[in-house]
Amino acid sequence: MSTRPEYTPIDAASRWPLLLLLVKGIGWLVVAGILSLTASIQLHTPGFLSGCPLFTYGRTAAMAETAFVYGWLGNAGLALALWTLGRLAGEPLRAQSWALGGAVFWNLAVFGAVVGIAVGDATGFELLGLPRYVHLLMFFSYASVAVSGLLAWSGRLRQVSYASQWYAAAALFLFPWILSIAHVMLFTAPVRGVLQPIVAGWYAQSAWTLWLAPLALGAAYYVVPRVTGRVLPSYEFAALGFWCLIFVGGLTGGRHLLGGPVPAWIPSLAVVSCALLLFHTFIVLLNLRGAFTGSGTALKFISFGLAAYVLGALADALTSLHGVALHTQFTYFDEAQKQLALYGAASTLLIGAIYFALPRITGKAWFSAGLVRAHLVLTVVGILLLLVSLLGAHAVQSQGLLDAAVPFADIVRDSRPWLLAASFAQMILLFGSIAFLANFYTTACEILLVSEPAVFQAPAAQETHAA
Amino acid sequence: MSTPANRDPRVDQAALSDQDLVDLHEKQLGRHPDDGARYRLLPIGILFTLSALILFSGTYLNRYTGHYSASIFDENAKPTTGAPVAVKLDPVAVGRKAYGEVCITCHQPTGTGVVGVYPPLAGSEWVNGPSSRVVRIVLYGLKGDIHVEGHVFNAAAMPVFGKVANSAYNWNDAKIAAVLTYVRQEWGNKAAEVSADEVTAVRTATGDRKEMSEAELEQVK
Repeated sequence: MSTRPEYTPIDAASRWPLLLLLVKGIGWLVVAGILSLTASIQLHTPGFLSGCPLFTYGRTAAMAETAFVYGWLGNAGLALALWTLGRLAGEPLRAQSWALGGAVFWNLAVFGAVVGIAVGDATGFELLGLPRYVHLLMFFSYASVAVSGLLAWSGRLRQVSYASQWYAAAALFLFPWILSIAHVMLFTAPVRGVLQPIVAGWYAQSAWTLWLAPLALGAAYYVVPRVTGRVLPSYEFAALGFWCLIFVGGLTGGRHLLGGPVPAWIPSLAVVSCALLLFHTFIVLLNLRGAFTGSGTALKFISFGLAAYVLGALADALTSLHGVALHTQFTYFDEAQKQLALYGAASTLLIGAIYFALPRITGKAWFSAGLVRAHLVLTVVGILLLLVSLLGAHAVQSQGLLDAAVPFADIVRDSRPWLLAASFAQMILLFGSIAFLANFYTTACEILLVSEPAVFQAPAAQETHAA
Repeated sequence: MSTPANRDPRVDQAALSDQDLVDLHEKQLGRHPDDGARYRLLPIGILFTLSALILFSGTYLNRYTGHYSASIFDENAKPTTGAPVAVKLDPVAVGRKAYGEVCITCHQPTGTGVVGVYPPLAGSEWVNGPSSRVVRIVLYGLKGDIHVEGHVFNAAAMPVFGKVANSAYNWNDAKIAAVLTYVRQEWGNKAAEVSADEVTAVRTATGDRKEMSEAELEQVK
């Protein structure tokens, strides 16, 4: 078996925007890791950095979320969306300067957002802590990157399309849409009173179901069959799963408003939508189940991410029910759910796809096998430990908060060991991210040092007709 | 078509080219699910799952959405038909609440008032007398001497409660009627209840005016 990746002229031509997006994304992953660790420490040791207003808990938590979602997931998701759309189009990416310029400004916007939150300009909405002055820049820079991807979609050589393309193209369209709606309804012409949490809840949920999840799934749908070499089982239902997500995904926002002062039909509609979304999850699981038996780094990450995705959807559906929400709402369970979705599912799916993509983009294998293994082990252990510790803290909270006889100070004291464990997990994840960044950086530098990278001819067994 | 072993973690080999990826999946789509009139198990399972979820969703939406009304906040509210029914409030309960918020400070929880300062309500001939007089006292307030059960009270003035000029509280007619009804039926008082219409009638007939005095009240029948 040759270790040479199938490096094609298509990738050689379009690698600069992709590498820029990826290196920025992984850089933000490390930044987000540091900030998450800080925020996590402040939960059990409130004195930590409390003298420095730039890094008090409210700000570090919002900065960590912003750096993670818009810095890491946004950049990496965009890179993989462009890459899969370009590969499946069969042509080098067009409008690359748009993608490059967009990537530069997107990262400026994320940087501005993180600094803005540090100096106290956060908005206070979940997943939309971005200060309002970066919204326009984010909108236009994202749209600029998306131009390149959409040209690859519309200019594809063949009429037929594949599931990855649907998910990637949808994510390119949908993020500017949800961001602009949220911006207009919350900032430009703010709706009043109870409408605000409804819009904010819709945005927070849609950013996950209509933006991050499609980005991650598009990458996974591309990598799984390419590595396993098998047609996806039950692929004829993939379109049904896709449209189920697009139609129902945005309606699940009301699950954040259970028991809130909103008309009853909004949370009820969210309960139903969470249940219907299980159908989408079921189809995704059926389609991608080959990942669990495949081999290689990419599929190890992707199978973990897929398991987390399914588990997360089940948790969403269960906790949207009133009886369950009584025990899980307003505890660390919320945080565990968020980490399961953003880190467990979206991040690991994207990381797996990056492990598959980078050798093809650069023409070089990853620099160090040890760092790859270390990243895999640290990520899996870190996420599992983080989830277990947050669930432990949740158990303490939910028992204590429902019992009027238990003083609040006792709940704080009893959940402290679990929060210490969560900080430890954040540290493990941070080490994993640093290993990932180091490996990526050295691999990417290899191609910067040689002026003209060698173009590998793909092994005949792989690139010629394999069926 | 074989799956590569992928022993080197540094690079994953692909077993399918991009072209094959698109072509083979397109071919898969072209296949009819009932080729040879044999339904495969999986499509039926998927159909069943979707139907079950839709059944659950339909039932849930029917039961817990309060008919998509913007004013129903409790998902367990029983669905009602026709126009919404106005809720009938118990005037005694409304009156007790209003009394507890304001009147209680001077007239005391037991309705006995304070000797020499605030006149008693329990057993008072004014409270148990004609409703037209007490309505005016609460609506417009009262200033100057007043004789209750043989004692004179003049140390404090009764504030203006009605929706009239210089009102201290701006209570609506129904609230005034409710608090009077409560006072006239509590602490052993046994006078008839006061209707909101009666308060409205007095207020519209009299209009704005200064506080009542005992002499003026005695002219009211």
